[in-house]
Amino acid sequence: MRDEALVVRCQLGDRDAFGDLVRAWHQPVERYVGRMLGRADDDVVQEVWLAVVRGLPRLRQPERFAPWLFAIARRAVMNRLRQAYASAESEPITGDLPADGSDTDLVLDRELVDGALAALPRAEREVVLLFYLEDLPLDACAQICDVPVGTVKSRLHRARRLLRAELLRKGYQA
Amino acid sequence: MTPDDVLTGLEAPLSLRRRVSSVAAGLAGLTGSSLIALLWATEPVLPARTHVAFGVLVAIGLAWAGFAGWAVTRRTPLFARDRVVAAWLGVAAWLLFTAGGLAIALGRHRLSPWLIVVIAVLGVAAAGNLHAARRARARLLRRALLLGR
Repeated sequence: MRDEALVVRCQLGDRDAFGDLVRAWHQPVERYVGRMLGRADDDVVQEVWLAVVRGLPRLRQPERFAPWLFAIARRAVMNRLRQAYASAESEPITGDLPADGSDTDLVLDRELVDGALAALPRAEREVVLLFYLEDLPLDACAQICDVPVGTVKSRLHRARRLLRAELLRKGYQA
Repeated sequence: MTPDDVLTGLEAPLSLRRRVSSVAAGLAGLTGSSLIALLWATEPVLPARTHVAFGVLVAIGLAWAGFAGWAVTRRTPLFARDRVVAAWLGVAAWLLFTAGGLAIALGRHRLSPWLIVVIAVLGVAAAGNLHAARRARARLLRRALLLGR
């Protein structure tokens, strides 16, 4: 509801509302981009927001802002991956996102999960990020990934299996 | 990267002055080239180099209109408030074209029916555009009020 109100105010041309919208959604976008690319990429994040500004006046359903935003982010990530493949710059997945928080165990757990997520195939990693980390419903995930809901479910199932295997392999005790 | 960094990078597309300037430049180009075209079409005898000069001036005006159209659809989008401002600018451009067109036609003591038709069609388009922009903004304002409660 709050996002919808913000989006409508943005569509009206309220610049303060756009600032609030960016503050509310910048972190999820940055997290999604970082985890999908395996590293933080400010250019892609900026590209996403630029596309949001340009597309916002034409957004017909402000209540569907989150799936729309992540669909834009996904497109930007895919473009970046395509560029990387085209220029044969295969960068290793490092999972070197900055860890904030002082609790060592928490940092270690987070690194473990980041590593396991990075080890997932791209399609499975994407649905895990959207469904579990961004808390989006299945139909929104399907809309963002441009696949049927059933495919999202099967990717989630496979992702859980792969994550479990990866965490066990790294010595994590359930 | 912080949200403020993102917003700093979005200064240009979010700048109201830039959007309104684009619309104004486009309408000025369109109105100017229309009036020059009208003048060109109604001049009885012209030397070849004047034809070329008129053609170049019309092309420059149309180029500005094309650039502005591209800018407001691709680079700096128009939000609801901007659309209303742009629609009023459109009405102003129509008034300018009407005044210029009538001045040219009456100066030649020849008011052709097709000029009246063009003025009427453009007037209806400008008024319709203004109405649609105001209605879209009012709809969004109502929705914002509803959501704000």
